[in-house]
Amino acid sequence: MVALQCSEAVISAWLRSLTRITTVLFPQPGPHGGFHFHPVTQDSAIGFGDYRPSQSPPGKLFTPSDEVLLRFEGRERGFVAHPVFDEQQRILAGVRPCDLRAIHLMDTVQADTPADPHYLARREQTTIIAWACATPCSERCFCDAVGALDSRQGADIMLSPLPDEQVLAEALTESGEALLASLKAPKCDDPAAARAEHEAARPKPFGRQLKADVPAIQSAMQDAWRSAVWQRHSEACLACGTCNLVCPTCYCFDTYDELDMQAPGSGQRCRTWDGCMLREFASVAGGHEFRGTIAARHRHRIKRKFEYLPERYEGAFCVGCGRCGTQCTVDIDIFDMVNEVIEEVRA
Amino acid sequence: MKTSQYLPAPAEVIEARPMTERETYFRVRLPEPLGHKPGQFVMVSLFGLGEAPISVSCGPHEGADIEMVIREAGSLTRALCRLRPGEFMGVRGPYGTGFDLQHFYDRDVLFVCGGLGLAPLRSLIQAVLSEPVRFGEVTIVSGCRTPADELYRDELTAWAALPKVTVIRTVDSTEHQPWRGRVGLVTAPLDDLELAPERTTAALCGPPVMYKFVMMSLLNQGIDPDSVFVDLERRMRCGVGKCGHCQINHIYCCQEGPVFQVNTLTELQEAFR
Repeated sequence: MVALQCSEAVISAWLRSLTRITTVLFPQPGPHGGFHFHPVTQDSAIGFGDYRPSQSPPGKLFTPSDEVLLRFEGRERGFVAHPVFDEQQRILAGVRPCDLRAIHLMDTVQADTPADPHYLARREQTTIIAWACATPCSERCFCDAVGALDSRQGADIMLSPLPDEQVLAEALTESGEALLASLKAPKCDDPAAARAEHEAARPKPFGRQLKADVPAIQSAMQDAWRSAVWQRHSEACLACGTCNLVCPTCYCFDTYDELDMQAPGSGQRCRTWDGCMLREFASVAGGHEFRGTIAARHRHRIKRKFEYLPERYEGAFCVGCGRCGTQCTVDIDIFDMVNEVIEEVRA
Repeated sequence: MKTSQYLPAPAEVIEARPMTERETYFRVRLPEPLGHKPGQFVMVSLFGLGEAPISVSCGPHEGADIEMVIREAGSLTRALCRLRPGEFMGVRGPYGTGFDLQHFYDRDVLFVCGGLGLAPLRSLIQAVLSEPVRFGEVTIVSGCRTPADELYRDELTAWAALPKVTVIRTVDSTEHQPWRGRVGLVTAPLDDLELAPERTTAALCGPPVMYKFVMMSLLNQGIDPDSVFVDLERRMRCGVGKCGHCQINHIYCCQEGPVFQVNTLTELQEAFR
């Protein structure tokens, strides 16, 4: 696979030039602060230096909130309904390793039988250009501690910043290679050495470090059913579900129907994000709540990230982006909860 | 052409009959046979109102009709219960594991049904009673809140008249209605049963509170937990292991369940909460 090397300015100009062939989404500062993955225009600033984690993770592009699954029309006898697929071509650029890891995990989940065709339709039409972080993107970052810092799977092109504002641009897939053909830059003869140079320039330790590695956390979680951690953090928690909403690996959803007021009996079936921290999430029609306390819901959320989904798939389902802690309405950080569980199980 | 697992098929209502104040019996006709196993469920929808998981209430067969009992609990089920023959609902499935008849062949079979739990268990009762030579003694314990809440009354009476079949009907309270069965919780008759624990397989379905007490009674009588199967209820939005609502610890009730061998649930603290 091809590898090129050029300046950051050349990369920025190239990303802007790609908007002539397709939609390019890139993290841009919003009007009220915070970064958002928005389509790039000719006027957009494309820079990598001042990035903070986007409010909503880029992988949500593949399961947007309020997405249309089906369109239906009432008929005299019954109905007709058709599935809706979004097959628009897009480039998702500036994806950081934590979010790339999350996208790779969601690829695994959504391709698991029975695969979700609505996710896959968007995913297959999207080319991902990832950017390897040179420094932690926020004080909440702990991607290294959960094994997400060196993620490459899922990216079509990997951009790694090097000293002197140089960038290594590596194609990782065939579509990445095809796209990289439009980047006018000299070849990098030894990408492995350049990658090593990128890694050597990173601060060590990189971001916050947990008190155990991922396999040890998974086994600590198995012993943490009766942990005091869940109740302790529940006392402040408002059960608002923000942590679910901003998590790049939360993919639970609810469905609802929208009727077309102009055409009686016609409309669309939609799905939108749901969250296991919300009270009704596990309640049934008879009124029974299977996770009636906030503590039980915290336990489920954390065990799902570090125990349940890792048992079913592979690796931690927390990618260390720090969004849930940053955006929590009462400052509860999953990082602290995990460390407390580790300490408690060791004690 | 690319399709979606969320697309329901139109199912025509062939028969709709109120069973109680809250429950309606349906026989609907699908465009193609469902090919379900006992204990499996379908996602039923009315466009404009939404979708809900409903158990298939009839035994496996090759035809295109399926039977269901729908309880009015919210706006969707309220509208479903108003459907009349010739009208349509959406159906997709079947989903879940269902009961594996292999565990029941050549065994005495005990059914413990609480309230609406009789509807899914009827799919297994029909499968068992359709080939009586392959099974031993059959005992059906069915409980509900009051006489007016009893489902499948005529069938319970008809089953009781069959050779090798015992039916025990109980209500929590008669509420001054005529009643010739027993009065008390569905767990009460269990201790008086003369079961042969070594050759009994049990199937349970009822409200969440029921399981613990029924299992305690059965295990006390010496029934092997390998031979106890439960059919669990959870909130479900997809039926295909994605929406997350039905998760019980690490498993998805819609995929690995809703029928479970009790043994497989011992590690799952959330199973009987």
